[in-house]
Amino acid sequence: MSQQPVVFTRRSFLEGLNLSVGGLALGLVPTVSAEAAVPGVKSAPELRPNVFVHVAADGLVTIVCHRSEMGQGIRSSMPVVIADELGADMARVKVVQAVGDAVYGDQNTDGSSSIRGVFQELRRTGATARTMLVAAAAKRWKVKPAQCEAREHAVYLRDGQRSLGFGELVADAVKLPVPKAEAVQLRPLTELRRVGTELPLLDGPAYVTGKAVFGADVKLPGMLIAVVARPPVVGGRVVRFDATRALAVPGVKQVLELPAPHRPYLFQGWGGVAVLAENTWAAMRGRQALDIIWENGPNESYDSEKYRLALLESVRAPGKPARSVGDVDKALASAARVVEAEYYAPHLSHAPMEPPVALARVAGGVCEVWAPTQHPQAARTEAAKMAGLAEDKVTVNVTLLGGGFGRKSKADFVAEAVFLAKTAGVPVRVQWTREDDIRHDYYHSASAQKLSAGLDAQGKPTAWLHRTAFPAIRSTFSEDVTGPVARDLNQGVLDLALDIPNVRAEMGEALAKVRIGWLRSVNNIFHGYAVGSFMDELAHARGVDPRDNLLEVIGPARKVSVAELGVTTLPNYGAPVEAHPVDAGRLRRVIERVTEMSGWSERAKNGRTLGLAAHRSFLSYVGVVVSMTKDAVGKARVDEAWVVVDAGLVVNPDRVRAQMEGSIIFGMSLAMYGSITMKEGATEQSNFRDYRLVRIAEAPKAIHVDIVRSEEAPGGVGEPGVPPVAPAIVNALFALTGVRVRELPIIRTVPV
Amino acid sequence: MSIRVRVNGVEQELDVDPEMPLLWALRDVLGLTGTKYGCGQALCGACSVHLDGQVVRACVTPIRRADGREVTTIEGLSPDGGHPLQRAWVELGVPQCGFCQSGQLMCAAALLAKKPQPTDADIDQSLAGNLCRCGTYTRIRAAVKKAAGVPDSK
Amino acid sequence: MIRALPVLASVVLLAGAGGCRRQPDSDAARWESLPPVDARDLRPLDVFQRIEDPAQRSRALFLETSRVYLHPRCSNCHPDGDSPYQDSGETLHNPPVTRGPEDKGVVGMECTGCHQEKNLELARVPGAPNWHVAPRSMAWVGKSPRELCEQLKDPERNGGKTLAQLVEHNAHDALVGWGWAPGSGRQPAPGTQAQFGALVAAWVATGAQCPSEEARP
Repeated sequence: MSQQPVVFTRRSFLEGLNLSVGGLALGLVPTVSAEAAVPGVKSAPELRPNVFVHVAADGLVTIVCHRSEMGQGIRSSMPVVIADELGADMARVKVVQAVGDAVYGDQNTDGSSSIRGVFQELRRTGATARTMLVAAAAKRWKVKPAQCEAREHAVYLRDGQRSLGFGELVADAVKLPVPKAEAVQLRPLTELRRVGTELPLLDGPAYVTGKAVFGADVKLPGMLIAVVARPPVVGGRVVRFDATRALAVPGVKQVLELPAPHRPYLFQGWGGVAVLAENTWAAMRGRQALDIIWENGPNESYDSEKYRLALLESVRAPGKPARSVGDVDKALASAARVVEAEYYAPHLSHAPMEPPVALARVAGGVCEVWAPTQHPQAARTEAAKMAGLAEDKVTVNVTLLGGGFGRKSKADFVAEAVFLAKTAGVPVRVQWTREDDIRHDYYHSASAQKLSAGLDAQGKPTAWLHRTAFPAIRSTFSEDVTGPVARDLNQGVLDLALDIPNVRAEMGEALAKVRIGWLRSVNNIFHGYAVGSFMDELAHARGVDPRDNLLEVIGPARKVSVAELGVTTLPNYGAPVEAHPVDAGRLRRVIERVTEMSGWSERAKNGRTLGLAAHRSFLSYVGVVVSMTKDAVGKARVDEAWVVVDAGLVVNPDRVRAQMEGSIIFGMSLAMYGSITMKEGATEQSNFRDYRLVRIAEAPKAIHVDIVRSEEAPGGVGEPGVPPVAPAIVNALFALTGVRVRELPIIRTVPV
Repeated sequence: MSIRVRVNGVEQELDVDPEMPLLWALRDVLGLTGTKYGCGQALCGACSVHLDGQVVRACVTPIRRADGREVTTIEGLSPDGGHPLQRAWVELGVPQCGFCQSGQLMCAAALLAKKPQPTDADIDQSLAGNLCRCGTYTRIRAAVKKAAGVPDSK
Repeated sequence: MIRALPVLASVVLLAGAGGCRRQPDSDAARWESLPPVDARDLRPLDVFQRIEDPAQRSRALFLETSRVYLHPRCSNCHPDGDSPYQDSGETLHNPPVTRGPEDKGVVGMECTGCHQEKNLELARVPGAPNWHVAPRSMAWVGKSPRELCEQLKDPERNGGKTLAQLVEHNAHDALVGWGWAPGSGRQPAPGTQAQFGALVAAWVATGAQCPSEEARP
């Protein structure tokens, strides 16, 4: 993180276009480019100790949110951390959204990393500004800085006699050197006044009045809207096309072919033919009127049903070891009883409510992009490549995201917009239809797993063998990927606490035939499903209550060492194991609390059918219990759900609760209905008619969320709620119907 | 063909393809971007608006159907964001990504206009066409009831 | 590219419905004397003339028209509950809809909130004038041809129509007519509306007899 003051210029792209910016201050986008200031904007002295926070002479504090807002509430959370360190009054804080620029450090809003990854650094940005304001006040009062304190947007002398507002101190503070990181003292956590309290939703008013600016809501003069006919099979290409009928559609202006991608697919577009029109309707009608001959290419052979069988075959044979303790083969051979089960989970599509969309303008040697991107720096890199410009000539403005879930970390839709804008010579917005979104996604990986447990004569587990096979995300980025490697198993296999003397995890081969991407909680989805289900199967096989079995298999509260896990290193979501150990105690606690909350022990007496699962992911621990009932026509439904989350220190409890509530619904959709299948390389689903999501009537009557109060280092929040949901549902379904669902989605086996 | 339509109380005259869905007339022609495109097939409800007070999915409603009629979008639901539903939505922190919420609100507003004291079943039926991928459904139910002054037992 | 989804399930269903099954009664014997017909077609009126007995002819005519009434394009919106069906009739309408007090949906989910007066090609939403679900009293799903026949003659359960009005409705109503032009790759009802109307008229003219409980087309 830079400690040097950065010269900012203020540019207002949207204001000049009469766009309403409402509660979302997208209008003022600070950039680090050395561009001239907008004429007429007077530059008053401002304290700018770093790129995240600055204080104006009128006292207005501007805090930059460098992560993308996609529903997790980061714009309502992250700035509060900085403001609390600074001692600012949120009523006098303006939050602006960062453009894509490496000066902000990592901006990729995925991996549930926004708070956990940079909590301390963010605090330091606010603390640095505070240190300078306090120093300015101390100098003026001729006292030591330690005699002053910053709070409520002012610096107070501790005797309470004198105070100076932040604005009044700016002129002096800007003359001071920016202190080094070591010289900046963070406040004790107790002084972070709003962190951990009920915080308002910053963009709430904009969302409910229609003023919030999403990707498709930015308009430029002379802009055309493009709708693209993409090859039905990834890696396919256009053989020839006839645009005559498309060009005859009123409003259609141009028809352009996009470059076909080469393996590995990275963030390239799919290629295809774009229809550029004055409005979206004309572009859609124009696309319908295109006559295109496609060549599908080698992925035409992909049949996801055959692939499912191949993946299952793969886990029936030994694979490459990824985790090993003791001698599993011997323990299984000498076991009194072996419990085994195979699990399959299909491809999934992200399906954010806002389909991919991006607007680009390439003119005068610069490129500007407006996009709902989770990864503005990757978008900038792709845009620069497409525009043939250096990255410093490219500005990526980040709008609000109408959901992301990992889809919008990929910059393919930005690359399309930039290519078309450059080629057409006018600004172009690429609008994906829902069909485009479902058929041309970076799909969540299909997977097969086999779990085996050996039990001794007393029924105690003595061996645990977990085999997993799935095409890995790296296949999208590299040609030589033949399946998962050990670090792909970090998510729910390597970091699983087991009080079993002989443990091994193995990986099977799996070649990717579609673009594989990361979807909310990623490999934890299927690993959590299989492990969570198998724990329940084990309980029933042993005749032990599923909660007691789960606690026994996890073992006593302890920080599980790398040696006990049977790995040499643990990727651990990029965090040091010392700060974020695999903590069996924290996992036990969420299980104990969620079963207490849900009346687990009294479930038989109360006539309830409950299912339990718990999972560690993204350094957080989540336990879920769901209640299932059968409705009047015999369909099983989730009636009520309980979630306990231990995410360490929590900044914004209401948004954490919202993420857990959302995780239940997201997990229900994928568990009950979610499935993307391919025939002859093409995706069979197209829209919400055949890629079904949970609707309001299916939502549980209540989702109860409890957050473990903790001062541990923050863990992730956006994703960890998802993995335990599917197994909790499958386990409840077993309790309800006696049917064990080993293949997702559930609707293939049981009516839901 | 010229189409005359009153949008949020303002008379508008549009010279567009009469088959153009109302959604694109609102967004691309009139610049009212609060109404969202989510599926184009009346499956998700993100484009819900009122046509003479009735909820329609703007993505499948040809603009000619609105000729001579009154359209209300999220921008016209209240002058200042002060509709009881909008207030309840903010107070209960309903939105996550926010993309579907204008459609949810327009449906909920039509529901309350007809049934001022809705039950959970009423809410589930009237909002059955509005998908929310973030999963805000339980808060939507609570916020509709809060706006209606119906006690929430959960 | 928007691809049409094949409606395989309906094809299978129709193949079964179009074939001739052995029936235990004399109606069946009459029926079997009729020439076979493709699942997509209706037998022309004149082939029924070979059945001499008017009552038997009437019953055969009704069985033929029941292939239309009970076709998913028609019966899906004459459901046995509060929600219409879609596709081959095995799945409920998606998104979920309920009939509401006037069989036109509930507030916020009125039928005409999505369905226009004609089919929409790009959006795949079917449409026809006065799109609505049949009243509960007019439920057809799950009925045998005989039950359906008795129901159609009962003004309490046929929308208050005389037989003459029934003929007119079937022959000319635009919403009924949608069944033969459902759009977006949906399997249409067999034959044409004109053929159907003529068959219904002939059934009425022959005394509107109902087939036996076991009789199936």
